Amino acid sequence: MGTKRINNNRRNFFKTTAALIGGTIAISIVKPFELIGQSKVEDKSDDKTIKPLWGMGVDIKKCIGCGKCSEACKIENNVPKEPFYFRTWVEQYTVKKDGEVKIESPNGGIGGLKQSVPDEDIFKSFMVPKLCNHCTDAPCVQACPVGATFISPEGVVFVDETYCIGCSYCIQACPYGARFMNPITKVADKCTFCYHRISKGLEPACVEVCPTDARIFGNLRDKKSDLVKFLQKNPTEVLKPHLNTKSRVFYNGLSSEVR
Amino acid sequence: MPKIIFRLLLSFIVFVTIFIVIKQLVIPNSFGDYGHYRANSIDDNKGRTLYFKGDEKCISCHQDINDLINTDLHSEISCETCHPPKIDADTDCKVNPPKIKGTIEFCAQCHTKNAAREAIGFPNFDIKEHKGDQNCIECHNPHAPWELKE
Ligand code: HEC
Ligand code: HEC
Ligand code: HEC
Ligand code: HEC
Repeated sequence: MGTKRINNNRRNFFKTTAALIGGTIAISIVKPFELIGQSKVEDKSDDKTIKPLWGMGVDIKKCIGCGKCSEACKIENNVPKEPFYFRTWVEQYTVKKDGEVKIESPNGGIGGLKQSVPDEDIFKSFMVPKLCNHCTDAPCVQACPVGATFISPEGVVFVDETYCIGCSYCIQACPYGARFMNPITKVADKCTFCYHRISKGLEPACVEVCPTDARIFGNLRDKKSDLVKFLQKNPTEVLKPHLNTKSRVFYNGLSSEVR
Repeated sequence: MPKIIFRLLLSFIVFVTIFIVIKQLVIPNSFGDYGHYRANSIDDNKGRTLYFKGDEKCISCHQDINDLINTDLHSEISCETCHPPKIDADTDCKVNPPKIKGTIEFCAQCHTKNAAREAIGFPNFDIKEHKGDQNCIECHNPHAPWELKE
């Protein structure tokens, strides 16, 4: 009798276990568990065909370093006026005759950049406007521990201000130095391509104010957009291509000195 | 059903329920709609204030200046490049117009001597050497720089 009882129990035990495991798997297929399996992290592919993919072209051969873009960006995006916080800024590169490279960006170029090297020492000199490169494989997104920074389906890298915990990992991770800690909101802040403007069909503020059209903004998926034409006409390069970030800000006339 | 299995099952159900409830409370709305983030954050960004209104807006009232600007080399420049909005530009321009002073520093921002400007053929020069300390707008009209006064 004793043996029989044990056998009976063992069978019940297996049955119940099987039912439990089967049930758990069955439940895990339905909605509440979906995130555990990360099954929805990939963007729905049919969305991609309709939505634009934003990018920017920067023509170094046109930039005069007037700093109007940095200034406009601060106004448009409520960036603190102190000279350490920039969503976009302009750097002046001066290659001296002795090979030394001098990089200057006093106040991000606001007020106009001035050449500090005497003419006779200059080998060449040029301006490099910088901003978030909106990488396809963004290191900052990988670094974020809470999912507060992300790449939207339109290719814009965002910071979710309500979700960011202000740990600064993304600021360290960005190879372009495009992020900063906003002293007012106390969270990471960065260029959004002026998403509130582009989603209404306007251009980003920096593009709007550029007096020489050195910045070209557009939809990379629209073959007739200014940006696509710019990419067709000019040999362009991204910053730090060796990092494989597949950035979406393309520079025309980029010198190898640019870091 | 033996008591121990029943208890096991019960505690399992309780744990799962607690897990689901906490998860619903902790994870914000729309999290995970597109990926590992709050999809509504994109819409939050859409709602920000517009400060730069664009040329069309200014031109609708300042047609005369637009006509003037289009006759000359400053035609490519937007109004708001030189007249950045002061406050939320929805406020009537009559009340708080984006006035600026046409000082030497103002023109110098773009036209002062710089090797990088020279390299791309942009009109730049030593301001002092041009006309000394005389203000640019005493001779040049800022909207049509080649419209020289006497
Ligand atoms: C609703 C019509 C309207 C719009 C839109 C408008 N303005 Fe005005 N603006 C006026 C009026 C009216 C005045 C007052 C003129 C006066 O005081 O003689 C004025 C004054 C100004 C002045 C100061 C003139 C002075 O007395 O020195 C500037 C600068 C100016 N506007 C620039 C702009 C810019 C730049 C824009 C585009 C963002 C713009 N305005 C949009 C109607 C408008
Ligand atoms: C190159 C820079 C520049 C651009 C571009 C520009 N302005 Fe001006 N504007 C000035 C300056 C400088 C003054 C101040 C002149 C002065 O101090 O007398 C001025 C003055 C004005 C005034 C008041 C004086 C007047 O001439 O009636 C108005 C109104 C005005 N601008 C509107 C506009 C509008 C509208 C546009 C766009 C179509 C525009 N501006 C584009 C530089 C500019
Ligand atoms: C935002 C930058 C900017 C500001 C500020 C600015 N300009 Fe210009 N200026 C330009 C651009 C861009 C051109 C066109 C250059 C070209 O097409 O080669 C230009 C052209 C000119 C020219 C014609 C040069 C030529 O080679 O024929 C004159 C003169 C001039 N500006 C005077 C002024 C004066 C005076 C002021 C101050 C009221 C001023 N500019 C302020 C950007 C600016
Ligand atoms: C006394 C009147 C006067 C004043 C003040 C003046 N200019 Fe001129 N500017 C001229 C005349 C005349 C020319 C054309 C002949 C020449 O190049 O001297 C000219 C030419 C220019 C050119 C075209 C130069 C080129 O090589 O194509 C620019 C740009 C210019 N001025 C900008 C400015 C700026 C910026 C200021 C203020 C710092 C200024 N001007 C002040 C009278 C003046």
